[in-house]
Amino acid sequence: MEQALLIVWRESVEALLVIGILFAWLRQQPGRRHAMAYLWGGVGLGLLLAGLLAGLMALAGNWMNGPAGEWFQAGLSLVASLLILQMACWMARHGGQLRQQLQRDAGAALQQGRLLSLSLLVALAVAREGSETVIFLYGASASANPSSLALGALLGLLLGLACFALLQAGSRFIAWRQFFLISEWLLILLGGALLISALDRASAQWMALELPEQLYNLIGTPLWDSSVLLDDGSRVGTLLASLTGYRAMPSTLQALLLGGYWLLAWRLLRKPAPVLCSSLA
Amino acid sequence: MKLYPLLLATILPSIALAAPLPSYELQIRDGHFSPASLQVAAGQRFKIIVHNLGQGPVEFESTPLRIEKVLSPGVSSFVVIHPLKPGSYGFFDEFHPELPPGVIEAR
Repeated sequence: MEQALLIVWRESVEALLVIGILFAWLRQQPGRRHAMAYLWGGVGLGLLLAGLLAGLMALAGNWMNGPAGEWFQAGLSLVASLLILQMACWMARHGGQLRQQLQRDAGAALQQGRLLSLSLLVALAVAREGSETVIFLYGASASANPSSLALGALLGLLLGLACFALLQAGSRFIAWRQFFLISEWLLILLGGALLISALDRASAQWMALELPEQLYNLIGTPLWDSSVLLDDGSRVGTLLASLTGYRAMPSTLQALLLGGYWLLAWRLLRKPAPVLCSSLA
Repeated sequence: MKLYPLLLATILPSIALAAPLPSYELQIRDGHFSPASLQVAAGQRFKIIVHNLGQGPVEFESTPLRIEKVLSPGVSSFVVIHPLKPGSYGFFDEFHPELPPGVIEAR
């Protein structure tokens, strides 16, 4: 039971963080009822996709673990990480303003195209981790005591929902501007983690090829080793790795890509120059 | 266009001269690894062929080794690991977190 609780909770953290932050932000927007439909629609679509992905892994496990499947999964993570960048940029332009200002500007913020990418982001966040939860529960139901498994899964989901509620409470108690500053950066950290996870899948594919040695140095050889400070193989390290992209021994390419992503995010969020942002958001 | 032959010239010899990667078999049976420890040469790419021989799915995972693979029962797959510095690197089945992890010793 504890096992199901922990796995369901941990697998749902990432999606709940994305949903929770977007929910808190949309609640402050004019015309939110319409936008919320896109948010929950994204959740529904994500659950559907999670089921489909789990089915693919169960029925076509060899394909999902072959090159095509690995590239497909890397693609999902990459798209999610880019959507997060777009979303954070969009929030930076509209999130920090006061409500009255927003209402004067109503309609400009919540445009159809942006709402579709919001839906897609939520769907990908739910589908990625959700599919693993489905596979785990399906596999465990064959061996474990079903009622204890169901109880564990339910408690894990409740724990996840409690985190969601805590996030919503936080958005009320912490000053509005600060809350959005923090949540934007939480999203960016998560986006970086998704980018690195996509890169890891891609580089595992490159590793199987015969490329020039210099390329392997770039994607393989660690640039530094901080495992004494925080080992990414430990429990805490693994959680931090999945939420921020932390690696104790990053390759040059990992470090460059994550650094570049943060720098781009910092430029986009700090100075939401109309040109830069409107091309993205 | 001029770069293309140059690129081929750099890649082709390495394909022609490539020796097969050292490869190791790893069986996972409902969270139990066999063998539980693999000795590999440091500084060299290598391949691990994993077989899920258990009743349920496993998630073969290791952040330091940059692996995350969900394997349904009966599925076999392989991963190629980047050249490692000497040391030990843990891996585990995320669906059986209570069981002892496996380890790769690079020397």
